Amino acid sequence: MTPRPHNLAFALANTAAALGALYIAFALDLERPYWAMFTVFIIATPISGAVRSKAVFRLLGTVGGAALALLLVPPLVQSPILLCFTISVWVGICLYYSLLDRTPRSYAFMLAGYTAAIVAFSVVDRPERVFETMVARLEEISLGIICGTIAHSVFFPRNVLTKLNERIERTITASALWIADALTRAPARSDARAHQRLAQVVTELHVLYTHVVFETSEVPRSGGIMRALQDRLAVLAAHLTSVQEALAALREQAPARPSLVRLVKRASRWARMLADSTVIAAEQQQESSPPLDGPDDLTDCNSPLELAIVTRLGRLLKALTESRVLAGALRDPTLQLPSDLQGEIRQRAHRTLHRDRGLALLSACAAAVACLIACVLWIGLSWPEGGVAVQFAAIGCSLAATLDKPSKLISAAALGILMALPFGAIYVFAIFPRIDGFLSLALVLTPALLLLSLMQSSEKLAGIALVLAVAFSGALALQPSYQADFANFINSNTAEIAGLLVANTTMVLFRTIDPRWNAARISRAGWRAIRRLATRGETDAQAWSLTMFDRVGLVMSRLRDEDLPWAAARRIEPLRDLRVGINLTALTELECELPTAARAALRQVLHDVSEAYAQMGSGRDLVIGKLRTSIDEAVNLLTTQSPSPARRSGLAALTLLRLDLAPVVEIQVHQAEAAA
Amino acid sequence: MIGEWVIDGVFIPRVLVVLLLAFVVSLVLRRTLRFFNAYRFIWHAGLFDTAVFVVIAWLIAEAAIGVTSYAIAS
Repeated sequence: MTPRPHNLAFALANTAAALGALYIAFALDLERPYWAMFTVFIIATPISGAVRSKAVFRLLGTVGGAALALLLVPPLVQSPILLCFTISVWVGICLYYSLLDRTPRSYAFMLAGYTAAIVAFSVVDRPERVFETMVARLEEISLGIICGTIAHSVFFPRNVLTKLNERIERTITASALWIADALTRAPARSDARAHQRLAQVVTELHVLYTHVVFETSEVPRSGGIMRALQDRLAVLAAHLTSVQEALAALREQAPARPSLVRLVKRASRWARMLADSTVIAAEQQQESSPPLDGPDDLTDCNSPLELAIVTRLGRLLKALTESRVLAGALRDPTLQLPSDLQGEIRQRAHRTLHRDRGLALLSACAAAVACLIACVLWIGLSWPEGGVAVQFAAIGCSLAATLDKPSKLISAAALGILMALPFGAIYVFAIFPRIDGFLSLALVLTPALLLLSLMQSSEKLAGIALVLAVAFSGALALQPSYQADFANFINSNTAEIAGLLVANTTMVLFRTIDPRWNAARISRAGWRAIRRLATRGETDAQAWSLTMFDRVGLVMSRLRDEDLPWAAARRIEPLRDLRVGINLTALTELECELPTAARAALRQVLHDVSEAYAQMGSGRDLVIGKLRTSIDEAVNLLTTQSPSPARRSGLAALTLLRLDLAPVVEIQVHQAEAAA
Repeated sequence: MIGEWVIDGVFIPRVLVVLLLAFVVSLVLRRTLRFFNAYRFIWHAGLFDTAVFVVIAWLIAEAAIGVTSYAIAS
């Protein structure tokens, strides 16, 4: 790997920060200067906003955890069992809350958990010093944080918005091409993966954008634009598949009318044009937006399907065009947006990702149990370094809890410690006895720090580099005066590995989860969300769509290609749920514009959809007869209305609902006749 | 040594108070500058902010405890 200039700049800045933190820590005569050093490594990432947000959250978490330790240790130190129990439970609680929030904010909660364990268990043998220890840890950590933050904001900062803009650009281009392509062909199996990728990107954008608030000052904050953009991207796949399905259903009955074929082709051309980022200018958008006049006569039976195609095609292209405009505005804040978009951006709203309370609880229990087991070993074996094992059990469980296979990360961390040990030993027992003073220390440390920082700047090696850096600093255990004690060295390092092993074992026991089972759980959470939407428990449709689209990514990434039939048999299809949700929203929105009879019919449809999802959730066989009748009744009622936008969108939504939930194609022939 | 304030038996270094104060002031200043879109005219915002923070901290320290005459010299 040849380092690129910005990677090298990052490595230099990081090394400077680590050495600076070390120097100040020595100058202030802090207890454990190496804590400042590895804190620099922990917060280091090549993006300045991420460093700064991590710095803030780490500081908050550390203060919280240390404060709890200060509160608990003095009264409970005489009853070790109680102390161990409380701290373990605290670690679990903090982990639970941190897992509910999937943005970088979660870091603060997680740290509050294991910092309490670290501080509390390192002072139990001399509880009178808990305040001093706490202050020392806080000083060392804040020192590392400040050095790291300054270095990464002053020396060649790379802001997160540049990265975000690149990714948004690529995503929109890829989506536009894919939409253009997908409109003119039959649905393919690879489509599911394209939806998954888009969903993962949207989630990633959401997570990355939380860093922007913390960016250096020149980066414009435009949370509203980002939110609007996410909302647009989140519905693309749903609208596209709606169009595809309706087209397929139409073709099964009769060949599509030439005018409709022309319309779809025109839409495809428009999408292909949007793939080129330079074309977008406001006047162009008005001049050639695709004609959306659908057939409003319901004389032949295909009309509702055609209507659905035309409506959804319009919404698809509108979302795509607007996302282009919004992406442009995100890049260049001086750009004038159309007034309706501007109004939307000014609104205050909040978007959340899918939350998995059950899994969070399970992970939290695993962490608490791991801590307790390590405590039992520590007390039962009267093992002097057992406290370190408990600390590492807490750290290991907390850091790995977000992953589907946590044990992989924990064993990698244990391996990293093993790998860092010989290097640490060389430094401690061969090099350090020969040097004197900070300058020579800096000189001998620089090669190792540079190498580790360089590894951190590459995305692939960042994880292992972090483990190595922390383990390396821990093994060095740099303290103001040189004290090499081989027994102590081995003792504390074995304790670290033992702690990680305990963490690994509990995680394997608690968290060995079949990804398919997990996908089914997430999917069921989506079904509950649909029911909330149908019964008006949920009113913000756009926030709902984003959460649902996040679930699409979560579910699909857990299903391999060979699992797809299994998923289909269990009606796991998150994108369908998103479509159903969008159609339900369309129905609720136009309800007030319709006469009472139609309103009652729509309400019946909503109720029956909710019922159907309740049946799916409880695993019973789906009885769709009732749903089908109520949808058909509503369609009949709407067809008798005079043509209006409300009627059109209602008919489209009902037709699509029927396609998704009660798929029988020979619709409305006799009913349309009956109505006429 | 830089002086300390004693609040209820806890020694709080003056420099900590000064730095925290400076941080708050610089935060407000940054917000204001961003509101007026002033960062378009600033070449390196990270460096600028750090420098401004140092200046503010020095000003406050000078005003409150007279750093140059007392704290650093002794």
